[in-house]
Amino acid sequence: MKDSRLPWLRPVVALVISAFFLVPLYMILVNVFKQGEKITQSPASLPDPPTLENITGLLGRTDNLFWASLTNSIVVTTLSIILLTVLSAMLGHFLARSRSRWARVAMLLLLSGLMIPPQVILMPITQVLRALGLMTTLQGLVLFNVGYYIPFGVFVFTGFLRGIPIELEEAAAIDGASRSRIFWRVVFPLLRPATASVLIFLGVWIWNDFINPLVILGPSQGTTITTGIYRSIGQYQADFGTVFALMFLATLPVLIFYLFLQKHFVKGLTGGATKG
Amino acid sequence: MAVDVRTTPVPASATPGSRRPRLPRAERLRSFALFGAPGLLVYTCFVLAPIAISFGYSLTNHNPFNPPTRFVGLDNYRLLFTDSEFLTSLRVTTILTVIVVIVPNVAGLGIAVLLDRKGWLYNALRTVFFTPMVLSSVVVSVVWTRMLDDEGLVNQTLRALGVEQPPGWLSDPRLALYSIAIILSWQMLGFCVVVYLAGLQGVPNELAEAASIDGAGPVRRFRSITWPLLAPSLTINTVVLLITAFKVFDHIQVITHGGPGTGTTATIAYDVLQTGLVANRQGYASAMAIVMLVIIAAAAGVTLKVLNRREVNL
Repeated sequence: MKDSRLPWLRPVVALVISAFFLVPLYMILVNVFKQGEKITQSPASLPDPPTLENITGLLGRTDNLFWASLTNSIVVTTLSIILLTVLSAMLGHFLARSRSRWARVAMLLLLSGLMIPPQVILMPITQVLRALGLMTTLQGLVLFNVGYYIPFGVFVFTGFLRGIPIELEEAAAIDGASRSRIFWRVVFPLLRPATASVLIFLGVWIWNDFINPLVILGPSQGTTITTGIYRSIGQYQADFGTVFALMFLATLPVLIFYLFLQKHFVKGLTGGATKG
Repeated sequence: MAVDVRTTPVPASATPGSRRPRLPRAERLRSFALFGAPGLLVYTCFVLAPIAISFGYSLTNHNPFNPPTRFVGLDNYRLLFTDSEFLTSLRVTTILTVIVVIVPNVAGLGIAVLLDRKGWLYNALRTVFFTPMVLSSVVVSVVWTRMLDDEGLVNQTLRALGVEQPPGWLSDPRLALYSIAIILSWQMLGFCVVVYLAGLQGVPNELAEAASIDGAGPVRRFRSITWPLLAPSLTINTVVLLITAFKVFDHIQVITHGGPGTGTTATIAYDVLQTGLVANRQGYASAMAIVMLVIIAAAAGVTLKVLNRREVNL
């Protein structure tokens, strides 16, 4: 249908509303390049003259806040999403193809995991991790991420597997391929779109995660990029230059990632909404 | 958060192969050990077992710095419902959840209808609206704190416009909760827009055209055709918003620490961690956590049931 009267109204209204959405992003962008005191005095003005002080100051800090946090975030996110993809694809495939009653029980338990708030399990998690000797370690955080986010992975993979005919796997089995071979050579390559969704969403969520690394890594063992931002607002109350630089550098990778892969984001999100 | 909340996937019986002979038992066990067990093991260790442990602790007075731990039965639960701090957090969480379920849902639908056109402008704007979803809550919280601070961007603007005493968005105990609700709504709006847009694109054009020929105006067409067909989108948005709002923690921790005043913005999630990990009353905090889990499961379950009934099949 066409907009018959006032054809300019729709784009104008849309632009005005979207401006409201851009203000916070604009705030990050202009304040990164501003001297510290001007950030509080005139938050919305353009940086005049622009300065790289905040960023160079952050990168050159003697306590290595940025580089250490960045390394932790990259290590934790990468390891978590690789493990999550592999484990949830295998588990999802197993559950989607199993005809046992137990598989259905497991599926139900996993799906209810989608709504469990981390606060409910964080206290006992600290004890489980302490018992395993993994409290305040990156490995502990990775393992927790795998357990906590596996329902999402399984959910995406089983949904996708419903559309893949089992005959392909049976044909491979008749040809004498082993179970593992069938999974890795026949099934896993077919799951590529689902794998993309899982990697992208979990990547962004885990990168942005706050409470889990805050509690599990604890105060002494360094920070991820998000807990680093949190710690630096407490520590350097007045130094918003550092805080904005850290926020800018923490957001940049996710934003670039999002702009390049937005099609996958939207597809992953709406997969469940459009299919009946 | 692509949570397909309507349908419990049916793993076994739905595949057309129900007639096929089952594999021998040993074979099935082997494939379970190889493919099913690793994931389930991690999930059990880090999600199911902790919930069981939480429940166990909720029946004790456990405090790691104040042993010995005694079994106290349901005392913690009884205490909860007379504890004004907990009841306040329940009220705070409810207000926050109601606002966050309604505002992004309504605004998201409006914006989706607005953007449901072809062309580069609308594509670009879709990208803009979704951007807050990929930002960390910590970043969102810090930026909004800068904007809503007493001397922040919003109040500077208001002063420039001649308002002499602009409100303390985050410092006034009566306002802070609503400010946080707006911040969270801002962050979740993009999600609703994307889900509604996908729903709108699934509405067949022929239906609207036919109704138009029958003399239905735009409002009537929306109410009688589009809206009922958007039911699955409404279900997804409502449930996701409900769960997200109910467990909000990051924004509280970064922006207000539960204040200003006592507990004016302390959500249940915030209260649980304060009581458990700061005050170390882990037995009591576990009871809170279990109550939280029960409420969230019940609320999500009821919402799903009610909204699923509305969904029509084309």
